[in-house]
Amino acid sequence: MPFTITLPAPLSPLHHNEPSDSPSLDSDGDTDMPPPSKRPKLSTRSIVTPGETVTDDPQWMRGHGTYTHPTSPQILSSVAGTLLKTNKLLSIRPLRARYTPEIGDLVVGRVVEVQTKRWKVDLSAPLLAHLPLSAINLPGGILRKRTSTDELAIRTFFGEGDLLVAEVQSVYQDGAASLHTRSLKYGKLRNGVFLSVSGTGGGGGGVVRSRRQVWTVQTANGGGEVDVVLGVNGYIWICKHVGGELVEGKGGRHAGAGMGVNNLEEKVGEGMYENRNESIGEETRWEIARLSGCVRALVEGGCRVDEEMVMRAYEASVEDEGVGGEEGEEGGEYLGGERGRRVVREALRAVHAARE
Amino acid sequence: MPLDTSTYHLALLRLDGRRWNELRRLHAQISTQASADGSSYLEMGNTKVICTIAGPAEVRGAARREGAERDNAVVTVEIGIAGFSGVDRRRGGGGGGKGRGDKRTTEMQNTIASAFQSTLFTHLYPHSTITISLHILSQDGSLLAACLNAATLALIDAGVPMSDYIVACTSGLTPPKSGTESADPLLDLNGMEEQELPWLTVGTLGAGERVSVLVLESRVQVGRLEGMLAVGVDGCKQVREILDGVVRRQGKRVLESVIS
Repeated sequence: MPFTITLPAPLSPLHHNEPSDSPSLDSDGDTDMPPPSKRPKLSTRSIVTPGETVTDDPQWMRGHGTYTHPTSPQILSSVAGTLLKTNKLLSIRPLRARYTPEIGDLVVGRVVEVQTKRWKVDLSAPLLAHLPLSAINLPGGILRKRTSTDELAIRTFFGEGDLLVAEVQSVYQDGAASLHTRSLKYGKLRNGVFLSVSGTGGGGGGVVRSRRQVWTVQTANGGGEVDVVLGVNGYIWICKHVGGELVEGKGGRHAGAGMGVNNLEEKVGEGMYENRNESIGEETRWEIARLSGCVRALVEGGCRVDEEMVMRAYEASVEDEGVGGEEGEEGGEYLGGERGRRVVREALRAVHAARE
Repeated sequence: MPLDTSTYHLALLRLDGRRWNELRRLHAQISTQASADGSSYLEMGNTKVICTIAGPAEVRGAARREGAERDNAVVTVEIGIAGFSGVDRRRGGGGGGKGRGDKRTTEMQNTIASAFQSTLFTHLYPHSTITISLHILSQDGSLLAACLNAATLALIDAGVPMSDYIVACTSGLTPPKSGTESADPLLDLNGMEEQELPWLTVGTLGAGERVSVLVLESRVQVGRLEGMLAVGVDGCKQVREILDGVVRRQGKRVLESVIS
């Protein structure tokens, strides 16, 4: 039985509580625009929410985080986030989202499944990534032929639960990533701790894509050298540095930067897929813990996590401990609560000072 | 014992002192749990719900074989009703997984899953699963509506694209005034009213008139349905305003805290 619904007059379209929220590109977005630049611009520091009309103007193209109805030229938002303009492309960067793989990303992942010719790796992306057997360095040299023996021994390279650092080689149609570890920079991870924070999916704090995501820290308090690997998917590995021992077949990952392809063959030893940790001194453990505390404090404070910020925070935390040493001996390395916020503030001040 | 709702017509005030078109206090927070992909906490009066989102992620095991052929993400809903949430304590209640086997819970799960399956842009995440976990801490009416609202907020927090908010509320009908046939519609029923009066849950997509969820389990004259529906849809608009405010406040907080 048909019945009609009489409703109150429709509300004025969106922007109800905060009129200043409306995007500044309603009618004359074109005339205002400076000469086109390739770099995406955050239009304003305002938020759009799902279902909100971003623009009625048909000159704009819709990008990620937006959708249209087939009948109207309106572009609507599908996520809550900030508006991003790249030339004539409108996209919305969500406030928070899962990591989506892109070619060239340095990622840290965990093997969750071993198949006959490949591994499935968890990157905290919507789909598991593939790591084919043909995309890893086999012990005995990069140019060695892959045989069926290698296929049978696939678990000797990576087993379930192993952590690895790799690069995204390609992205399939459905968004799943294909990884490779064909460089001495990549491979199995050991001798350290794993951290999971938010990745590059959205705004807010978390790991960002940057120039250097793997570096060595010369730690204070006699901790020696510690490596930090920031995967852009938000997985982080902090471990003891074991460089310069490659010929002995230890820790294949940390070759010097000057390593060429030609002498690779001898350098990739059996130890590359070693599962046992080396002995790590107590001082080193303290400093690894401090670095991971710094990263956690940065994420809690909503800051981006990159080399500069981590190093500044680390320096700040070392200094902070020197200051507050009298209060109590134990717990000095714990970077939660007020101490964490102090360290983050100090790090931000140092970063700003360095820019000026 | 049946409740005495006949006093409504004396002062046009309901049992808890509201008028016919007033919502209860609606309080919500998002990003309450850092470890989840998205999370929210929502109170509609004394109904309190926690929602967490896992995904979109590839699931392993039996669920994958089931959905392996799909080009869309699959939305699954789990509802845990805490044993202490109702008026009488349920034996062995303790949240997660307790609702299993309960037909009412299963039906709520299916309703929520099908509502979001069609509203989320699931084609962007083929072969993956979005799991909505709802934990009911306290029940006082409008349970399905609270679950839908909490899930919407948590999905926005998780950054899953959707065409608009799914917002829901309930509407009911007062008993007819003695001697007449007129019965007033009521907005947002609490637990006591729900036991006594005919009521329905209506969920709309955004502030428009697109109804995406409509559940009516009690008997009501068909001529009065229209009025109930109109009041419910109007309530959904109010709910959307409130939820939108919550998302905007959270967004502002995130943007202010980021120093780049």
